[in-house]
Amino acid sequence: MESLKLLAPLAWRNLWRNPRRTVITLFVVSVGLWSILAMASFITAWGQSSRDATLRLLFAQGQIHAEGYLDNPNINRLMDPPDTALLAALNAPEISNWAARLELPAVVRSEYKTLPVTVVGVLPEAEIRISSIPQKLVEGRYLSGPEDDGAIIGLNLAKRLKTALGRRVILMITAQDGWLEERSFDVVGIYDADTAFEDTYIFTGRAAMQTMVGLGDEISQIAFEVPEDEALEGVIASLRAAAPAHDVRQWRKLSLIMGAMDASMAATVYVWMSVMMVMISIGVINTQLMAVFERIHEFGLLRALGLKPAHVLVLVTLESMLLIGLGVLIGMLAGAATVWGLAGGIDLSAFSQALEAFKSGEVLYLEIRPMDYVIFPLAIWLLGVWVALWPAWRAAKISPVEAMRHAT
Amino acid sequence: MQHKGNEMKAIVSCKGITKVFGKGELAVHALRGIDLDIMEGDFATLAGPSGSGKTTLLNMIGALDHPTEGEVSVDGQSLSGMSKSALSDLRLEKVGFIFQAYNLVPVLSARENVEFVLRLAKVPAAERRSRADAALAEVGLKGMENRRPSALSGGQQQRVAIARALVGRPRIVLADEPTANLDSKTTAELVALMYRLNQESGITFLMGTHDPRVMAHSKRHIEMEDGKIISDTRS
Ligand SMILES: Nc1ncnc2c1ncn2[C@@H]1O[C@H](COP(=O)(O)OP(=O)(O)O)[C@@H](O)[C@H]1O
Ligand SMILES: [Mg+2]
Repeated sequence: MESLKLLAPLAWRNLWRNPRRTVITLFVVSVGLWSILAMASFITAWGQSSRDATLRLLFAQGQIHAEGYLDNPNINRLMDPPDTALLAALNAPEISNWAARLELPAVVRSEYKTLPVTVVGVLPEAEIRISSIPQKLVEGRYLSGPEDDGAIIGLNLAKRLKTALGRRVILMITAQDGWLEERSFDVVGIYDADTAFEDTYIFTGRAAMQTMVGLGDEISQIAFEVPEDEALEGVIASLRAAAPAHDVRQWRKLSLIMGAMDASMAATVYVWMSVMMVMISIGVINTQLMAVFERIHEFGLLRALGLKPAHVLVLVTLESMLLIGLGVLIGMLAGAATVWGLAGGIDLSAFSQALEAFKSGEVLYLEIRPMDYVIFPLAIWLLGVWVALWPAWRAAKISPVEAMRHAT
Repeated sequence: MQHKGNEMKAIVSCKGITKVFGKGELAVHALRGIDLDIMEGDFATLAGPSGSGKTTLLNMIGALDHPTEGEVSVDGQSLSGMSKSALSDLRLEKVGFIFQAYNLVPVLSARENVEFVLRLAKVPAAERRSRADAALAEVGLKGMENRRPSALSGGQQQRVAIARALVGRPRIVLADEPTANLDSKTTAELVALMYRLNQESGITFLMGTHDPRVMAHSKRHIEMEDGKIISDTRS
């Protein structure tokens, strides 16, 4: 303790003996950390925004199906509307909205073409709250109620079928009795999402669809929205408890591609962090070795005066702790300043065509995630101090006799 | 404690010291059998041509290096077999060093340089400061306590080194060519200062030098050549 009080001020002053080198090291460390923090914020915001946009289309944060439906979605694997226990769980405060749908594979036919699609029977009232499709209409109107037997189809599908608003399309769905049920629908609305989605989904009133295929009030899925990702696990557990016979899944398990994208975004940050860590290590080792070799004589003197090798090790390590600590501090401030500076959001609408593949929302809002400001700075600091132990150890090994001999 | 003669006490005692650097064909015999006692109160010079072994011998006495053969004792304590850490402590307590150059820590003020050894020796803060300032006043640097070495002349820097060597109240001050980088006027002043400290406070000095102005003051003159002592005379 006493020796720390002796060595710490010495270490601090030594930092400023070669201001140019100190500034270079500070620059390397702080820019490295800044880039990691900024990238983490950006990637997180981007990932979240594109994920939210996709989930908002239709899927929501989780879905309930009858056991086996997801493996083979057909009319024989439906479920009844939620019973009181499930209703109570669905109306929990963590769940902001939910919607019960009838979703079945189908074939759509126009005068020109026949294409496989998925028809979703919806309750428009619930759908408006949970899905963004009602807001994505470019022509016509949304469904007026469960009995509405109009069809809402995607822009690209309309193009491929060579049909238009006000025209009719034929939908064929396998009914309860096994026969192929066929009926014509008026196209009442056309929506604009991404093409893959547009080619897949057709919407109509749920009751109208149930009647067409000879069902009572059976449904195929309940989609539920959980605004706080942290609450999702708990919600899933309570839903499973309320409906043990059903298949309750969160979005990562429903859409493997989206789950993988989510994971790879996080991985990108770690790859970048590794690259920066290598750069920072090289920078720190270099400058600290130079700092030690420049002062061989001085370490010899200090040793001659009675400083022990361990003291020298502590002295040089303190120097790197202070130096890298300062760099880390600057990097954290720069990272936070970047996020605050972009608090108004980054407008990506100019790139929205190019970004369609990523399904990003058009404005990104960066935020500071407190754990990022603990883990990354700590990792960089510990790494820097750790690699600087080598120069420090070299300094501790300097023999006073040798050092003084070469000085003159 | 060893006693030699009537009341004379040996501060340093070297017995059969040899030092060989390197091995085989490249071996350098820097010291070839040194027997030497430095007495309390000595103001001794160690002279001889460059390469004769002065620095090597001073390093042995100052516990900075260990002999190949033979034994060094400082203040009655044998250095052989002591750990590096124990040798550091011994230097701190018993030996003051003045080197030819780069004596001071550049980022510390004159006072802090002097205080440094007291801090290592765990002297309490208040006492540290008064002792450091007294030592600086003693060497004529009153008023310059807060200057960094870069703001001091070469002679003033060596005075700070002397103050630092003395402040720990060592048994002996070892000085290796302390005036080599100084002009003759400054050299004369510095030697006069060390001589006065020796006369007034009885501090033992051993100086490696080939500067005649330093030798002129010496009360004991030891001459080395080729790793051996060839003469040892008192005046
Ligand atoms: N660390 C060392 N390694 C090899 N040779 C050394 C070393 N230190 C001193 N010597 C050699 O030992 C001899 C004595 O050196 P030194 O004690 O420095 O002499 P002086 O101080 O009298 O000039 C010289 O030949 C020198 O080259
Ligand atoms: Mg020498």
